[in-house]
Amino acid sequence: MMYRMMTLALACLVAFQAPALQAQDGPLRLEIKEGVIEPMPFAVPDFVPESGAAEELSRNIARVVAADLSGTGLFREISQDAFISRVTSFSSPVQFADWKAINAQALVTGAVAVDGTGRVTAKFRVWDVFAGQELGSGLQFVGTVDGWRRIAHKVADQVYSRITGEGGYFDSRVVFVSETGPKDNRAKRLSIMDYDGANLKYLTDSSSIVLAPRFSPTGDRVLYTSYESGFPRVYVLDVASVSRRLLESQDGTMSFAPRFSPDGRTVVYSLIQGGNTDIYTMDIATGASQRLTNAPSIETAPSFSPDGRQIVFESDRSGTNQIYVMNAQGGEARRISGGTGQYGTPVWSPRGDYIAFTKQSKGRFHIGVMRVNGEEERLLTASFLDEGPTWSPNGRVIMFTRETQGAQGQSRLWSVDITGRNLRQVQTPGGASDPSWSPLQ
Amino acid sequence: MATAMNTGQIISGAGHTVLIGWLLFGGAFNTDPIPFEVTQVTAISTEEFEALMAVERAPNAASSVTEPTPPETVEPPAPALSSQTDAETAQTPPTPAEPITPDPTPEPPAPTPRPEAQVEDTAPVLPSPPQDTAVLLPEKSLRPKPRPAPRVAPEQVAPPEPETAIDDVVREEVVADDTATTQREEAEATAPEEAATEIVTEAEEGGGPIAPTASMRPKTRPERPTQAAEAKPETQPETPKPATPKPAETDNSAVQDALAAALGQASEPAPDTAPSGPPLTGGEKDALRVAVQSCWNVGSLSTEALGTTVVVTVDMGEDSKPINGSIKMIGSSGGSAAAAGQAFEAARRAIIRCGSSGFNLPIEKYGQWKTIEMTFNPENMRIK
Repeated sequence: MMYRMMTLALACLVAFQAPALQAQDGPLRLEIKEGVIEPMPFAVPDFVPESGAAEELSRNIARVVAADLSGTGLFREISQDAFISRVTSFSSPVQFADWKAINAQALVTGAVAVDGTGRVTAKFRVWDVFAGQELGSGLQFVGTVDGWRRIAHKVADQVYSRITGEGGYFDSRVVFVSETGPKDNRAKRLSIMDYDGANLKYLTDSSSIVLAPRFSPTGDRVLYTSYESGFPRVYVLDVASVSRRLLESQDGTMSFAPRFSPDGRTVVYSLIQGGNTDIYTMDIATGASQRLTNAPSIETAPSFSPDGRQIVFESDRSGTNQIYVMNAQGGEARRISGGTGQYGTPVWSPRGDYIAFTKQSKGRFHIGVMRVNGEEERLLTASFLDEGPTWSPNGRVIMFTRETQGAQGQSRLWSVDITGRNLRQVQTPGGASDPSWSPLQ
Repeated sequence: MATAMNTGQIISGAGHTVLIGWLLFGGAFNTDPIPFEVTQVTAISTEEFEALMAVERAPNAASSVTEPTPPETVEPPAPALSSQTDAETAQTPPTPAEPITPDPTPEPPAPTPRPEAQVEDTAPVLPSPPQDTAVLLPEKSLRPKPRPAPRVAPEQVAPPEPETAIDDVVREEVVADDTATTQREEAEATAPEEAATEIVTEAEEGGGPIAPTASMRPKTRPERPTQAAEAKPETQPETPKPATPKPAETDNSAVQDALAAALGQASEPAPDTAPSGPPLTGGEKDALRVAVQSCWNVGSLSTEALGTTVVVTVDMGEDSKPINGSIKMIGSSGGSAAAAGQAFEAARRAIIRCGSSGFNLPIEKYGQWKTIEMTFNPENMRIK
């Protein structure tokens, strides 16, 4: 009975408001908070050759564009076998229904021409298939036949940028240490290649050990550490001419872990003097140096923030290796790593939002990222030995060294998206370590 | 004392019974269509109810209804909501005359003397530890172990069989059967693509004891089968859909009946400016939301675009398909114009893709969903 009475009361209450039920103020409103994260299906038909000499190039360029996009893990190429439409002319209208039918959400069409002087012109358009409209407007790049891969990378960068809203990283290079031979007698050479492993070149011979190459902000120079003199010394190498010079150093000291400042005029590095390791900066032009830390502990692996105002580095001043941030002129440093384990090789993201690092914890090595204040630490990898992270030019991908266990273990380069997805090995001809990613060319 | 109280309750109950009888059958509500089997009470979500309360449109029928407020004295029955048998509750008031005395429920206090000597020490101490562990263990075991998958979606989906084609719908394979009397068209088996509820990094998937950092989100309510039984106002001239009487078999049938009667009684035509027809139920809205979110792919958005909320409007055709050209962004927050543009494109793709075959919306309520405003808030997706 009571139940019925309460029911009645509720009914009465609703009766008062019932008319409102029939009305809705304005349009139906919904809030969508959950979505999916999956690669976006896209299609890249072979570009249309607009001259006889462009036949193969048009196909190759399209393949590199597709490989670049697929390699990000953000996109999934739809096989050409599934295509319903064929693109036979760059200017012909797109049959959106045909591309929708195979669920291609993005479509890249293009054409390539090669003139008598060997000049290559590649033009392209990006289409949002379901919206039935072009993303951005058509664009073309001009280059040489030898540089066709760069043209393709530039097209891919544009496509990536138009779809994701952030810059690409395909027209970039990686300098690293190429390794050959057994683990206990390994020959190391400074090498450079396109980000995808193509166009490999060696910058030094294997007569001496080289370590930790680092690109300049403009990508034209490389800093690295060499044991050529028997002690670690920092050299700066001009990539185009492959000429090098030793940075100023004092006798009885050892310098290593160099890295350029964002303006490319200063080098920050570690110097061992009297058995103590501290961080210094040096003006490349004048050789004038400045000591930034002065502690009995080991301070090393410095890296500038993108605005050049701060430096993140590694120190064992607390008893274990941790990450600290200090002013670019030195002074008080604040620790930002707070988890268990040991942290090292911090690198500031080119976007300034994250710091990548190496972490050793519970018998495993990890590559991870954290906010510049140490919050939101996220470990992206786990293996026997992962170390030496370097950022892609757009701050979205991290490349690092992974070494396998055992006497036959070998170092290789790997990359991973900062979300932890798309972990994959980078193609290199042999062993490789210490990668440094260049800015976009 | 107890008897006196019971007598008072009986008198009060009898009085209320008469009053309720008069209200229900005396025509106080003019409820010809009393037995309206309206949808479950759950059809009216909290937000909707709040919204209703906010609307200032005084129903005429209100005057005569003010009386029933007395039921407030009936606080105790609240827990009875879960019961199913109206019969029992209905009978209790009449019979109770004397039987109520068995209320000796107060007896229990008698055993109180138990708290004797030191029994406290032994009893409390031992039981508590085991209970703690028992509670903790299930908590861990109930949490699904995160499993890496190429697709991250609101709900986890197990990997389909190798030969199974990917499709939103699960279908069994159909093969030709010569012995069958009726032949069905051959079709391959389909199942949804494997999905995880969050990104699982290599560090997390490694055999370590690392637990997932995010808990499973509650499932959305299943789509409601019919909306015809919704409150269909007779007095509403423009609403075409007839109320399909459907026997309400739920636990809350009594409440639903009363609500249906009340709604039927008090319905008023909506102003010309407001969408016509009854509003979508929570289930209908949820179904639409789920449909759109299943196509809202934020995987290729920049981190800035992932921090941008966009508000999009879309006009719908009567075939429940979005009119693509009508989709526009009417607002954004949290990011630059460029980021908002990227976020809008992802939202537009979601609406167009999943609406290409039409959303599951009740045509009789077309006036309500002719224009839809969707807010795409990727906040939850950033932390995946």
